Amino acid sequence: MSYDAVLYIFVFLPVCLAVYQLTPEKSRWKALLIFSLAFHFLLSRGLLLCLIGTSLLTYYTGICLEWLRSEEKLELSGADRTEKRRLKQKYQRRRKRILALGVIILLAILAYLKYYNFFVRSVDLLPGWLSLPLSLEEKQLIMPVGISFYTLQAIGYMADVYWGRISPERDPGRMTLFLSFFPQIMEGPICRYSDTAGTLFKGEPVSYQNLVDGYVRIFWGLFKKKIIADRLAVPVAVIFDNYTEYGGMLIAVGAVAYTIQLYMEFSGCMDIIIGSGRMFGICLPENFRQPFCARSASEFWRRWHITLGTWFKTYIFYPVSMSGIVKRWNQFGRKHLGKYMTQLGVAAAALFPVWVCNGLWHGARWSYIFYGMYYFVLILAGEAVKPLRDKALAAFRIREDAVWLRCVQIARTWVIIFTGELFFRADGLRAGLHMFWSMFEEFGISRLWDGTLFTLGVGRADLAAVAVGCIIVAVVGHMKEKDKNIPQRLAAAPLPVRWGAYYALILAVIIFAAYGDGYQAVDMIYAGF
Amino acid sequence: MDRILEILRGIDDSIDYEREEALIDGGLLDSFGVITLVAELEEAFDITIEAAEMTPANFNSAGAIREMVERLQEN
Repeated sequence: MSYDAVLYIFVFLPVCLAVYQLTPEKSRWKALLIFSLAFHFLLSRGLLLCLIGTSLLTYYTGICLEWLRSEEKLELSGADRTEKRRLKQKYQRRRKRILALGVIILLAILAYLKYYNFFVRSVDLLPGWLSLPLSLEEKQLIMPVGISFYTLQAIGYMADVYWGRISPERDPGRMTLFLSFFPQIMEGPICRYSDTAGTLFKGEPVSYQNLVDGYVRIFWGLFKKKIIADRLAVPVAVIFDNYTEYGGMLIAVGAVAYTIQLYMEFSGCMDIIIGSGRMFGICLPENFRQPFCARSASEFWRRWHITLGTWFKTYIFYPVSMSGIVKRWNQFGRKHLGKYMTQLGVAAAALFPVWVCNGLWHGARWSYIFYGMYYFVLILAGEAVKPLRDKALAAFRIREDAVWLRCVQIARTWVIIFTGELFFRADGLRAGLHMFWSMFEEFGISRLWDGTLFTLGVGRADLAAVAVGCIIVAVVGHMKEKDKNIPQRLAAAPLPVRWGAYYALILAVIIFAAYGDGYQAVDMIYAGF
Repeated sequence: MDRILEILRGIDDSIDYEREEALIDGGLLDSFGVITLVAELEEAFDITIEAAEMTPANFNSAGAIREMVERLQEN
């Protein structure tokens, strides 16, 4: 059952809402928990135990960390200054060990299920003299749905308790709900406990406004997914599955079409997920903020899959940049290399693990690792040339907010994004490199209008629907970028205008969605990660 | 406070640090700016800033940064 399925939107969700509303306020989170576990069971069957195990491990790690903290407090009272320092170090070491144990167990489960076969295949590629004295064979491994998402949430929770940012959850059931809440289990967003726990356990009654806002957001998501993404899935598959038959302009079209498909699909699913949460009065964090308005690769990643980027920044980038080894480098560099090189070294040391993990998180493929390294190099290069760029802007008296400069920067970022997504979607790194180089052979811009596009499995009507859909999404995005709150404005609009807009959205989805003869339901891309 | 403002202006002199209250939440200071700031604060005030301190609340304004520095100096 995917989030865009009729079964989810018109059966599962309403039944859950009804049961939730009929349950006494204090126990409403229990209704959500039961539906969340049922939802996960429908998708993963027995692997539900993996999720429950993760929840219990996360819960007990939090409790254990808190217990150590209270023990420390007890021992500290009455101790002198020297003794206090010793006790603090002792308990810090203990807490660190508990955190490490919890994180290692979670990562070991994820690594085994997600990366074992990749490891075996990579070992096989090693030359004979480097091969390990191990006899490893690939295994049939099935991953629980959402493991990449809930594992990150669990690690984030443990780290937050370790750092003392949050108090641990006292109820294992609530912990399980935090990790398994059904609208977000398949595709995120990757929530932090401090952001969602408040509304998740509150048991807010279902209200008319939340229902309307929720369903409008869901239909907006369906608009993006069904009208645009599912239509683009056809030519994208044709080009990427038969990449040796295409070159030049058509490969570029494939890269652009896939980028749009991925955005419409992933952000559309986020709209459905956030809309589902809204109906229960639960605020889930936004995952996209007009990513195609970004002026650089690093800004793009602050606007695209925001919760993943925030997770990497909070739990990898900052801890690495503040680790002992990086601090020692900082001291050494400032004395011997100067501020610029030292900061560049710190940025490289902190960014490298972030982008290796980003690549690997998306899947066990070399092309994903390449994708991570691609952004690592680009973002680091952006930081490296920043002083030079600032000097050049000052020398030529160019204003940072000049419209033409903004347009050039956005266009450059689009090229970076499209190229990255080409490698991301390609069937392996070799295929990605082949496609990339083939773009520069006989580019043939005339293929855009000589009818070649219609050989890719789409007709004029499809392209028209995609084009109009993209324009509407772009206009809405532009309004959001200008700080215009569209749901709020609609809610304040006169009744005929408001319901006219709602019905237009619903009818657009019903009439123009890609289904019927010749179409197959398209799986959600991020659910596969 | 003057030293903190001096460090902040060294990172980006286009921001009005005396008034700004959303350096992190408003996206004015990015993660590279933050790690530069941390290194400068550690050196200038002889303190150790741990990863646990890396919350927007500690870096959203010059005042919040000063409070964090004073707290860490006391510890």
